[in-house]
Amino acid sequence: MATAPYNYSYIFKYIIIGDMGVGKSCLLHQFTEKKFMADCPHTIGVEFGTRIIEVSGQKIKLQIWDTAGQERFRAVTRSYYRGAAGALMVYDITRRSTYNHLSSWLTDARNLTNPNTVIILIGNKADLDAQRDVTYEEAKQFAEENGLLFLEASAKTGENVEDAFLEAAKKIYQNIQDGSLDLNAAESGVQHKPSAPQGGRITNEPQPQREGCGC
Amino acid sequence: MSDTENQRDFLETDDDFKESPFTDTVSDAREEFKCDASDKGETTSLTMTRKRPESKSSTESEESSQGKDKDTDAGQKDRPSENYQGGWGYWGNWGKSLITSATATVATVGQGISHVIEKAESSLGIPSPTDMSGELKKEETVDVLSTAGDAANDKSSSNTSHIGGAIGMFSSLTNVVQSTGKTVLSGGLDALEFIGKKTMDVIAEGDPGFKKTKGLMLRTSTLSEVLREAKEREEQQTSHLVDTDTTRKAHYGMLFDELQGLSHLEALEILSSESAAKVKSVFTTLSGDELAKLKEELELVKKSFSLIEFDEEEEECIDDDGEEFVKEVTAAMAEMKIMVTADKLVQARKRVEDWMSDINTQREEEEKARCITEEIHASAIRSLAELTARAIEQFHKIAELVLHSQEEKDTVLQQAKILSQMTIILCKEVSVLSKKFTSSLTVVGTHEKGDVLNPLITGIFLEASNSASYIQDAFQLLLPVLEISYIQSYMRTA
Repeated sequence: MATAPYNYSYIFKYIIIGDMGVGKSCLLHQFTEKKFMADCPHTIGVEFGTRIIEVSGQKIKLQIWDTAGQERFRAVTRSYYRGAAGALMVYDITRRSTYNHLSSWLTDARNLTNPNTVIILIGNKADLDAQRDVTYEEAKQFAEENGLLFLEASAKTGENVEDAFLEAAKKIYQNIQDGSLDLNAAESGVQHKPSAPQGGRITNEPQPQREGCGC
Repeated sequence: MSDTENQRDFLETDDDFKESPFTDTVSDAREEFKCDASDKGETTSLTMTRKRPESKSSTESEESSQGKDKDTDAGQKDRPSENYQGGWGYWGNWGKSLITSATATVATVGQGISHVIEKAESSLGIPSPTDMSGELKKEETVDVLSTAGDAANDKSSSNTSHIGGAIGMFSSLTNVVQSTGKTVLSGGLDALEFIGKKTMDVIAEGDPGFKKTKGLMLRTSTLSEVLREAKEREEQQTSHLVDTDTTRKAHYGMLFDELQGLSHLEALEILSSESAAKVKSVFTTLSGDELAKLKEELELVKKSFSLIEFDEEEEECIDDDGEEFVKEVTAAMAEMKIMVTADKLVQARKRVEDWMSDINTQREEEEKARCITEEIHASAIRSLAELTARAIEQFHKIAELVLHSQEEKDTVLQQAKILSQMTIILCKEVSVLSKKFTSSLTVVGTHEKGDVLNPLITGIFLEASNSASYIQDAFQLLLPVLEISYIQSYMRTA
């Protein structure tokens, strides 16, 4: 039983990006702990979370890099984009400015990741509909124009949080299946563990001849 | 300078460094690489410390080669020697190339008896015994190899042979070390740590071929890859066992990953290699005199990174409950002049203390005492993994904060000193903890047979030794970060 968490066949690297205070860390916390963190400190640089999910019967471990939104950390956090298989680009539906900055975040995401990186746009704080400052429709249109997945979610209620992470994973997995994401390519952001999925026969496989011939 | 200006400054440097120096690095790395691979005897360019200074150049080349390598990807798979992509870069070859390159260091991450055996196999398996120069060393290695080999052959039978192999390895390694005239510190951990760090170098002294292998190894993998690989193997192995809670609890590598130690390390490596690339690119823009002057000043930063000396235990403070440690790290972080606290380290240390007092309470009840050896072992491993993970996180946070702060040169020098001090404090604490846990074990386990107790004790010392190595490696990763911080201040005042 205890072994179950280790039987995953893929690892996907995710990054979460977006303006300060849009709720990136809270989304992550809701996703990994299924709890809402009301009083969340500013992230310094980057923090991490992991969770194992299942897509089409395959266990996938998501390794999530939750970046700081503060402008002063931007230079540092840009270093972490490389090799991400998925990116969650988050804005706050009650603050228009966080939506207006999306193009700059998108530019970074496009420039610093590989062309296959799946980007999903998340309008967070969907529970605060009364204070809404960005309509669903315009965000949806922005996402479509830029080829992004899109969801409105709430880290507070948990609405769509699972889906946000899952939708991106499905898309990545689909890219792997149809061959558009080459796992052998550098920076694919996906790591395949050949030994885990098929079960049975493979146990000895990944240890090829090395004994004695090190030089 | 306002914040936004700084920002732009940073971004610009970023861009610059993306343009030119990258291609530089590629050819550099390639050339160096070929060199190493081709001339067997010439190993002077490789530094043989356990602190893997090479990891920087490997990540650099990894970064820089990504663009170029798109087209050669297919071919690369068949040429493991050219796999210098790391981090998230080269999953395809997982379990193939890394295993080869990583084993020597990886083996030390292993835990439990079978891992110890593996260590014996792999660390000694790399140098071919016939290549060993000294007669004495030769004999002993062969001896150990055969013990280890035997033990591995009948893995399924009893535990005793494993222990024999493990103990045999340690004693002969000790002899190797002694026979080359090095002093072996007394005391379990010191000796083990010393051996852990020195063995490879000592073996390498007598064996240029091995030295080269190790050089290649360092070049092709970063520490996080090595650790990741080790963890993978633990995962695989545990998934084949009938998994009791204890086996899972006591796996250092898996715990270290769960506690995000690996992630922080990977992130720190990224910052370190990018900083190193920036330092390099600054060098290329300077003329002879300017460059010489800057390099001379940078020696001051480097000094703190090369002079780490561990005093051999001033006085044993086994009764220490961590107060001293908490005070020291808190004070050290306060002096850093960046907004960093040691809170998480302090919490981790307190948790360790809680476990220890749990153990002590249980120990008093005779009944329970019998079954708590495993538990103490598990607590020890968990404590070490947690403290190490938090130490790496601390260094990672420091790197992030240093990179965006704009400090004066003197402050940077001061920071370097504090960090070197911090490394000593952390390693000492690891050593103290392992001693406390093992002495608990010894007390509790007086009724246990040696073959039950010894591997547990050995396991704790091994992981403590590894913890100390990772902390020191992480510390070394901070050097380029402080260098670039120093350079930025230097440029401002110039």
